[in-house]
Order: sequence, then C-alpha cells, then structure tokens
Amino acid sequence: MLRSAFPYLALLILLGAVAWSLSFGTLPPADFTFCNGTEIQSVDPAIVTGQPEGRIIQAIFEGLVNWDPRTLEPSPGVADNFRRVTVRDERGNETTKWEFEGLSDDQLTYTFHIRENAKWSDGTPVTAHDFVYSFRRFLDPMTPNRYVFQLTSYVHNADRYYSPSMLQPGDPVEIELYPERDLIGIRGKVLRGYTFVERVLQGEAPDPEDEDAPPRQYLYILEKDGNQHRFLAGGEPGSVPSDVTVCRQVLLDFSEVGIKAPDDHTFVVTLKNPTPYFLTLMGFYPLFPVNERCIETYGSPAWTRPENIVSNGAFILKERRLRDRIRLVKNPHYWDRDNVRLNTVDALAVESYVTMLNLYESGVADWISTVPATSVKTLLAEKRQDFQPSPMMTVYFYRINVTKPALNNKLVRQAISLAINRQEILDTVTGAGEVAAYSIVPPGIPGYTPATTAPYNPERARQLLAEAGYPGGEGMPTLEILFNTSEDHAAIAEMIQQQLRKTLNLDVRLRNEEWNSYQISQQQLQYDISRSGWIGDYLAPNTFLDMFVTDGPNNQTGWKNAEYTRLIEEAAAGLSDIQRDTLSIAVGVAGPVSIPTRMDLLHQAEVILMDELPVIPLYFYVSKNMVRPYVHGFYNNLQDVHPLRAIWVDEEAKRKFWEEHGR
Amino acid sequence: MGWFIIKRLGWMLLTLWVVYSVSFVLMRSVPGSPLSAERKVSPEIEQNLKRRYRLDQPLGVQYWDDLRRIVPHGDLGASLKIQDFSVNEIIAQGFPVSASLGILALAFALTLGLTAGIISAVRRGSLADFSMMTIATIGIALPNFVIAGIVIILFVFLWPLFPPGGWGRISNIILPAFCLGAPYAAYIARLTRTGMLDVLSQDYIRTAFAKGLSERTVILRHALRGALLPVVSFLGPAIAGVLTGSLVVEKIFGIPGLGVHFVNAALQLDYPLAMGLVLLYTTLLYVMNLLVDLSYAILDPRVKLH
Amino acid sequence: MTETEQPPALPSTQSAELQRYERLLAEAEQIQGISLWRDAWRRLRKNRVAMISLGYLIVLSLLAVLTPLLPLQPPRQQITKLAFQAPTASPLFIREYKIAENEPAENPDEPLPTQAKIDADGFGPLNWFDRSLLAARRAIFGEWCFNSICGRDRLGRDLFARLFWGARVSLLVGLVATLVALVIGVSYGAIAGYLGGRVDNVMMRIVDVMYSIPFIFVVIFIISILNTEDVKALMAKWGIDRLTVFFLVVGAIFWLTMARVVRGQVVSLRNEQFVEAARVIGASRRRIIFRHVVPNLLSVVIVYLTLTIPQVMLFEAFLSFLGLGVERPDVSWGLLANEGVEVITPVRTVWWMVVYPGLALAMTLFALNFLGDGLRDALDPRMKNR
Repeated sequence: MLRSAFPYLALLILLGAVAWSLSFGTLPPADFTFCNGTEIQSVDPAIVTGQPEGRIIQAIFEGLVNWDPRTLEPSPGVADNFRRVTVRDERGNETTKWEFEGLSDDQLTYTFHIRENAKWSDGTPVTAHDFVYSFRRFLDPMTPNRYVFQLTSYVHNADRYYSPSMLQPGDPVEIELYPERDLIGIRGKVLRGYTFVERVLQGEAPDPEDEDAPPRQYLYILEKDGNQHRFLAGGEPGSVPSDVTVCRQVLLDFSEVGIKAPDDHTFVVTLKNPTPYFLTLMGFYPLFPVNERCIETYGSPAWTRPENIVSNGAFILKERRLRDRIRLVKNPHYWDRDNVRLNTVDALAVESYVTMLNLYESGVADWISTVPATSVKTLLAEKRQDFQPSPMMTVYFYRINVTKPALNNKLVRQAISLAINRQEILDTVTGAGEVAAYSIVPPGIPGYTPATTAPYNPERARQLLAEAGYPGGEGMPTLEILFNTSEDHAAIAEMIQQQLRKTLNLDVRLRNEEWNSYQISQQQLQYDISRSGWIGDYLAPNTFLDMFVTDGPNNQTGWKNAEYTRLIEEAAAGLSDIQRDTLSIAVGVAGPVSIPTRMDLLHQAEVILMDELPVIPLYFYVSKNMVRPYVHGFYNNLQDVHPLRAIWVDEEAKRKFWEEHGR
Repeated sequence: MGWFIIKRLGWMLLTLWVVYSVSFVLMRSVPGSPLSAERKVSPEIEQNLKRRYRLDQPLGVQYWDDLRRIVPHGDLGASLKIQDFSVNEIIAQGFPVSASLGILALAFALTLGLTAGIISAVRRGSLADFSMMTIATIGIALPNFVIAGIVIILFVFLWPLFPPGGWGRISNIILPAFCLGAPYAAYIARLTRTGMLDVLSQDYIRTAFAKGLSERTVILRHALRGALLPVVSFLGPAIAGVLTGSLVVEKIFGIPGLGVHFVNAALQLDYPLAMGLVLLYTTLLYVMNLLVDLSYAILDPRVKLH
Repeated sequence: MTETEQPPALPSTQSAELQRYERLLAEAEQIQGISLWRDAWRRLRKNRVAMISLGYLIVLSLLAVLTPLLPLQPPRQQITKLAFQAPTASPLFIREYKIAENEPAENPDEPLPTQAKIDADGFGPLNWFDRSLLAARRAIFGEWCFNSICGRDRLGRDLFARLFWGARVSLLVGLVATLVALVIGVSYGAIAGYLGGRVDNVMMRIVDVMYSIPFIFVVIFIISILNTEDVKALMAKWGIDRLTVFFLVVGAIFWLTMARVVRGQVVSLRNEQFVEAARVIGASRRRIIFRHVVPNLLSVVIVYLTLTIPQVMLFEAFLSFLGLGVERPDVSWGLLANEGVEVITPVRTVWWMVVYPGLALAMTLFALNFLGDGLRDALDPRMKNR
C-alpha cells in the first residue's frame, strides 16, 4: 500500500513545500529606498562604529546638535540654544550661520538647553537626565564601546570614570552590584558614599598571551565613615570570604565627571581643555541619547527590537529583516516632524557593490552609497548627472612595520614611497577622481596646510635605496603586502608589487586576509606593509594625526617618535589662548581669525610624519554616491553624511522619470 | 523500521557532538578575536568585552558551558557580530529563505533532470539524447558563480526579464533557483539516463512490452521506478550540496538566507553563530539522509533497513 | 630439463588420444587471453567522445607544462593604459615580450635591465625548468608573442597568457589533491575492507560521521589558520608553501567517498569466486592481493580519479570565489573566473573576463567527465568482449 502510494505522497510533499516556499510576505514599497551596505551590527548608538550603522542611527536617534546636511555645521538638534548670526568672510560675502549660545568664556563649559518639545517615540519628553544616563552608559567600561575617546579625551574626569586603574586614594567611588535580573546591558544597584583606598589584583598577574588564563579580578579596599570595606569586582557570588562583597565594578563616582543635569532642560558638559570641535562631536551618532526606561526594562539586545525600541529621531524602526532590509517610518512625536517629508524609508542590506548598482539601475534603490570601482570610468564617460564623486575626509594609506629589518630604515621607507606611482594606480584601478595623497591629512580642513612627502621619482628612489645599503635592491628581504580581501585592494597591491619590482627590484609578495584576521595581524604587527584606510571623524587634523603618537592604540606601525608625540600633545593642550572664534574653523566656515598656533603644531608634527614615513599615503577617497535626480535634500559633503530627515522625493518627477526610462 | 530510526538518531547525536567538538577546536585555533575592530580598545576594556560574552573563561569551561546551554534548551547564544539578534533568531529568519530557495532549486532539478534523463534514455543515440547530455555535462562542468554571471548578463541586462537581486517576490527567486539547481539537474539527468538504460534491458521490461503494453505505460509505470533508485540515493548528498551551494548564489543575488551568514560567521569568528549554523547543517544533512534511506527502502523491496 | 624427468614412452594405442589432446592444447594456446587492460583500451578506443577528451587533456597538460615555451605575453606584465582591452586578433602576433612599453627609459645613465630582471618582472619567480624553457622560447620566438586574443584584465594583463599560467595551477591542484585523496582513501578503505569485522565497522562509522560534517566550514577555518603569519613562517621553515597545504586540505576532504568505494570493492572481492579459487589452489596471500585484488581495484580507482579531479577543480574555484583560493599574483582558472564575475555590472560588461576562464574550466571538466564515463564503461567487466 505504502509502496504504491509513495511516489504520489512524495510528489504531494514536494508540491506542498514549493507552495510554502513561494508564500513569503512582501512589504509595500517605501517612499525612498537606499542601499546601506553590509548588514548593520546593531542600532545601539554606543556600541557600533560603521557607516551603515551610522546612517540608521542618525535616522532614528537625534543628538544635542544636528549636522547641517550641506555644510556639516552644528545646528540645533535636541538642544535649541542657538542663534542665527551673519558673518562676513575674507571676500566680504555675507553668510548666515548658527552660533551656539551656551559656551562659557573660558570655552570649557557647554550648557545645552534641551528643547521643550523634544519627545521620545512613546510620547514622553526628552530631558537632560536622559543625556546624563546616555553619556554615563557611553562611558561605562562594561559597554562594548569603541568610540569612548570621543568623551574621555575631552570631558573632565571622563577618562577616570572609564578606567578604574586611574582611581586615586580619596576619590569618591560608586559601587555597582550585579543586577538582579539576568539581562545583559542593564545596570545593577549602585552604592555610593565610599572613598577609594586601594585596588589589588587577585591571584597572579595573568600572562596576556595565555588564552586559558582565568579572568582578572580586583579587590577594592574602600572607606566609608572611617571603616574599611572590601569589594571584589568580577567575582562569582558565594566564592568569597564573608567580609568581602561581590560587585560588578567599582568606578569613580559619576558626580565627579563633568556631565550634569541641573534641571530637566539644562545639560552641562565641562571639558578638560578648550576643544573647538566639541560641538561637532555632539552631532556624531555614538553620543545620541538612548531611552533609560526602555533599556533597563528589556536589557541588551532586546531593547533594540522594533517592538521595544524607544527613540527620539525623525524616524522609527518599524521592521528589521536580517540581510534584507530595515523599514523606517516617520516618527509622529518628532519635534520637527513638519519638515520630515518621507513617510517610509527602506534601507537595503546589500554587500556587493555590483548588486547595489544592479538595484539602482533597475529602479529598486533611489540612492546607493558607492559603485563598483570597475564601473566608475564608464559612468564618468557617460557623464551621468546622478554620479558626481566628491572629495571625502578619508585617506587610503599603507602602514609600514618599522620593527622589521630594512623597513626600520627611514631611507628604505622613503625609497618605497618614491617608487610608488600613485597616479598610475588611480588612473587604472579607482578612476573616480581620487586625489593622489602625499600627506596623511586630506586637504580641505580650513586653516590647515597638510605637510607633504615627495612625489613619484624612481631615480631618487633607487638612489635612496642604494644609500640605505641595498643598491639595486640587493640584500633586501622579501616584503609582504597585507590587505583585507577585496578585488580593489588586491588590484592596488598587485600594481604596487609590480612598481616596486620594476623600480627598486624588490621582491614583494601579497597576502590577503579576512577582515578580522587582518585587524589582528595589523594590531600585533604581524606584517611588513599593510593596507589601511582612515575616515576622519570630525573636521580637524587631529582625527588623522592622533593615530601615530607613540604607543597609541591606532598607531599599529611600531613607530615611536618623542618629538611627534610632544607636538600632538601640545596641540591638544595649548588651546586656551585661542579666541572663541576658532570654533568656526572647526565647523568649516572661515572666520576672521589668524591661523591658530594649534594648526602650526599639528603641521610640524605632520612634517615629521611625512619625513619618517611609518605610513605611506596613497590617495584620498571620493564619495561615489549615485542618487536619482528626483531625490532632493541630498548634498555631497566631506564626511559623506546624508541625514534622511532632510531628504525628500518628488513623486511627480519620479513617476515621470520612470515613464521616460522604461520599467 | 522504528529501531532503525532510533539507531540512526543515536548516531546523529554522536555526530553532532563530534561536529561540535571539531568545530570548537578549529574555531578557537584561528588566531584573532571576534571582538577586534578597526578602532582598537584598551586591554582593560577588551577584558570587559570578553567578559560580556564569557570569552574570558578558560576554553575548557567555555566548551562545557556552551554544550550545557545548547543541549537542553537548544539555545545557541547571542551572535557576536549581529549584536541585536540571538543565533536562534538569525536562523529563524534566514532558514525559511534558504529552505525555499533550496526546495525550488531541487524541484526544478528533479523536474528537468528526470524529464531529460527519461527522454534521452528512451531515444538513445538520437540528436536529442546527445544535445541533452551535452547540456547536462556543461551544468556539471561550470562553477555555479560562473553560471550565475552568465545568466545575469543574459536575463537581467541583455533581456531584462528578472530583477538582479533581492527577495520578496516570485520573480526574485527564479534565477537563483535556476543557478542553484542547474548542476543537480544535470547530475539527475545523467543518473536517470543510466538507470533507465539499465532497467530497459531487464527481462521484466521485455515481458511488459511483450504483453503489449504501450511504451508510455511501460516506461512510467515499470521502468521509472527502478531507474529512480540511483536518483533517490543521490538526493541525500544533493540536498547537502544545495544547502552549501546556496552560499554562492545567495551572495551573488543578495538573498537574505543562511548561506552568507555561514561564510561570514566563519570568517569573522562569530563563534556562536558559526557553531549554530554548523550544528543546524549537520542535523539537516542527517535527517535528509535518513529520509532518503527510508524512501529507498520503500521504493525497493530488496532493501532491508538494519 | 634432465633425463630422468623425461616422460616415459607411451604405448602406441594411446598415441592417437594423445595427439588429440596436444591439438586441443595447441588450440587453447592460440586463444590469447586478453588482459583486462588491453580489452578496456580496445573498448575505450571505440568511444569517440572519450578519445577526443583524452586527446584534449593530453594536449592541455603538455601545453600547461610547456607554458613558458609558448609565445605568450608575460602574465604579470601590466600595461595599464590597455586595461580592459577587448579581445583582438589582428595582428595575431605582436612584439610585446620585452621591456614593458609603459616604462620610459627616464634616465640614459641607468643600466638597462637585464633579461633576468625582465623575466622576473613579467613572470615572477621561476624554477630552473621554467627558466630554461623561457630561454628556449626566446631563442625560437624572440620578442614575438600572441596578441591579446582573449582580452586584457583591469590591470592590462593579457588574459590569454594568464589562462595558460592558470591552467598549470588548476590542473596541478586537481591532480595532486586527487592523488592525496586517493592515497588516503585507498589505504583507509583497503585496510577496513581487508580486516573486516569490528575494525571495519568502526572505521566505516567514522567515515559516516565525517560525511555529516559540513566540510566547507572546516576548510574555511583551516585556511584561516594557515593564512596567519606564524603558521606561514613555520611552514616556510619546513619548505612548504601554501599551495602544498592547499592540496593536502582539499585532498583530505575528498578521500571519504574513495574510502567507501574501495572498501566495498575489497569486501566483495574477498568473497568472489575467483579469489576463492585462487585460495583453494594454494595461491599465496601476496599473489591474491597483487594478482587478483589490486587490478580489480585499479579500475575503480582510475574511474574515480577522473571523476574527482573535476570536483576538486570546482572546489578550488569555489574557494577562489570566497577569496580563500590561491594567492595572487599566482592565478588559477577559478580565480580568473571570479575576477570575471566581479566585473559584470549593468553599465559595462567585460564579458571576456568571465567567458574565457569559464570556457577553459568547462572544456576541461567536460573532457574529464566524458573520459571518466568512457573509462567506466570500458573497465566494466560486464562489457567484456563486447
């Protein structure tokens, strides 16, 4: 029986399966669709770093200030104490700009007024306390946060809160117990009123190389009302003597940090040193506020789910389909809702640049953030109006491991730099109008002239290599260029390999690694030459030059130069003599001030860097957005940031466009 | 048969444990850390990050902890890279997509492969036979990313019938299913043809013809059943192939299935996700092979399960 | 022969009988026992498709080995101004093999690059065999070489030359990895089959378990481990390069089926009548294995070999697609095909970069498949004397 019925049964099952597989739901099309690159890691502002994440977070959250979509100048966000002023530039043209009213005369205290009509997406008001909560959470060492230097470098005592190793005897501390509920990302009960006495590492100092070492625990000896108390941070409950309390961590009391909310609508930040670009930083997505009630209720990552999340931006997270799309809808509680013209937005998660272009050309996407390098020339040759590459604050460079033999010789590094014909690479591989780089800081930062290294000169390169003791490349070890897997990086590396071979007779091998192992190899100096890129986080040379201070976490070349480090530190500290007007320099609008000494110091530092060449700059990126002509409110800018709240689609023009272009 | 199934499931558990252990050891031997990123953090914070994901524990402890979490609850943990989702959620979202694609690809492969195989066996030596077998061999001889590339040139750009990628509509699934199914269609066609030729020379077929039954009846009712056996035994590995092969197709067509997670998790050292996917794939492979064995026993009276 | 062993003279009455036997014996001796191999070869020769495939494969292998001798452009020579040049066959020959044109002699004082340097620039490091072939080529063809009849890639390298150099890698990967699989598989399967009993059971269960491991995954991990600098330095110390390890890894995956097939064959052969018979007449164990078992195994093994090479080559292509294949600037067909797929965009389709590598792969795998089929038919004992 079964035997004779079996084929029909199998057929039936197969048909059923096919019917099931075709029954997936579709969403109605959105007003505006764009390709957002790879799947985002999270929508939690504090823990992500990438550009795709930034685009989504900027849409669903809003910081104290907003960046003007055109000029990136800080403009009113959740804080509204700005006024419109008219300034006159050197040529006498008048422009208006936003001026922040909350800066103290010593340029150390920023007082933000939280606008009365700022609301969370559940309708409750956004208050200064929300910012205190968010900034504290941002600084919490338990938050897996990679942008923490955005506060620790500038805000009074923020670094001491973040690093318990910086605690001093007598400091007031807060003790966080383990939370009662077993959720990640929520805060435990906090005890205050203790002062710090001593911090003792428990057990033997673990060998950092040993993967199997047990986790580090610290015993804190604290004082309260004249009595000493002992707290074990990171211990397992029940495994300790009775006079020791187990806690999650011991931190500097947050009230010592320069982040305060005197009332619901006043938020005060006190800095260590005057920092002209601090206001710009407040518009950078990691510092956007998050909702305390939401996070403490659901914990991480559950609070980021569309059904749970409470946010304060122009849009709400409606739906997330992994590796497919993120659907955003307009936030009805957003204070500036009348100026948000898109009702629904789809952010497609697409990894391949080719697929992106396919989606754009077939009308699925209205904006793609980049195009495949191999199609750039064709697009430019066709003079496409929707493809206008524009300069970006990003540099593509090769790190050189100066701890390796031969590469530790400055002359060798200079010879390599001189032997690289950057223009040939740009003409062949990239071709979107990228600019050959001879400095690490891109041009275009107002008030700063980048220091440059010498351009392509094969003869001089050979000469230097001979001077270094390797005439005709003789005696040079085989070099290896490390890059993360990508056709474009591979092509550039192959060209440089050939150029070094031809000009200097060097034997060069290539090594590609996946992103993760590539990061590790680079950090552990397991390379000879390594491809790198750096996107400027704000419009100041520091964002590039700070990387290469001695033993800096992002140095990753083994290069140490005391003079360079001194110059960078001096530039960071010696700002108090600068007039308030220098603020305008940071925001990209030239003010009537002389060039400040800070820029001179940084320039001197870069002169050293470009002479020593632990890094060889290759080119400066251009943004390669493709945007349909019916999309408005989209502007090219140096940071390649395009807030969705400013974008709108001319439906009539869209309809006409597709009528004309078929499909 | 019940005993057979229980025994096989027992073997499956053993296999899963072996796979878990092998994957664990291999994954953790890859140098690097899933927590590394472009912007480096201080060692202290690195420590905290590890603690958050319990990566600071000795490896042996992690091995048992993970096992204890997975075995009773099927809880595969939180992804280290797609931080807003747990591994179970990622699988719940991606699996239906991969499964639909796989089912369609197999359905397509079976339909096309069986038809072509039968026709070329019955019309042996004819032009139809030769050309179909040539096409089938091409299907086997080209990597499916090349097939995908050619198909995209033809049916997306030159003759825009289908969208270039994405998910959600039926038109999205046709090209990927074709590219994924093509090599299997080719294999099935060749297997069917061989099996059919074998069966057609058997005595009982000759008897059937001698009884005066029509060609159609003989082929579809008598010959096909015997010819199907090699195809059925091929289906087990084929399903495995469809599952892993989908990773190329998903990548090229931008389909939100599990295939790309599979590669990315392995390359980015997203331990929990990678582990979850390996275990899922092993389970699927085993179950499919079991089903194939069962249907084999049902189709062929000579086969005894033991 | 000694006197004593001479047969005694027979009575004449029996001599007629004897003559009859002698005639029969002579007749029997005239019937040549056709060896399995000769028979198979005879049958294979009749299979035209298989013979064409065999011819193609032999020619291809020869060309791959002799690639440096052929009048091809240097495969690593980048002529960037000709990037993405479409295939052109007129003129068929150009004088491109020399100092690259795009580097002007910027300084007359500079010594002209030596021939060795030009070769190293264009061909990469070569071993003595390739260097001598290259010298021979220079003597025969001078600077002449084929024009870019398959077009150029994005760095202006000649695709035709790269296809030939890629053939070396692809074929080598296919062959060596398959041999590795063969060695492991045959020994494992033969041991299991020969020992039988509980050992066989356990060994085959292990194979079953390994069958269920998604191997692509394991390969990704192993290759990631191999890619790190420490491991590389270690391997360099032992004189192993990545390609070698690649062979081993791929080979280690494909041995499972081989082991099963061989084991099955050994088990059935053990119980075959002709083996029984040999045993009964007192043939030694060695004689049974080498005279009876191995030849019968060999046919299976050869068929399997021709059918595994295509799988391995496809697997190599798949790994190239994931960016885990051979390391640049080495090329393989898989890598070239993947580079081709990467440049298919709606605004411009550089078709030759996907079509030619695809064609090269397809034709070779085609030939291997047909040859494998042909061999299977030819070596099938049921087909004997047909």
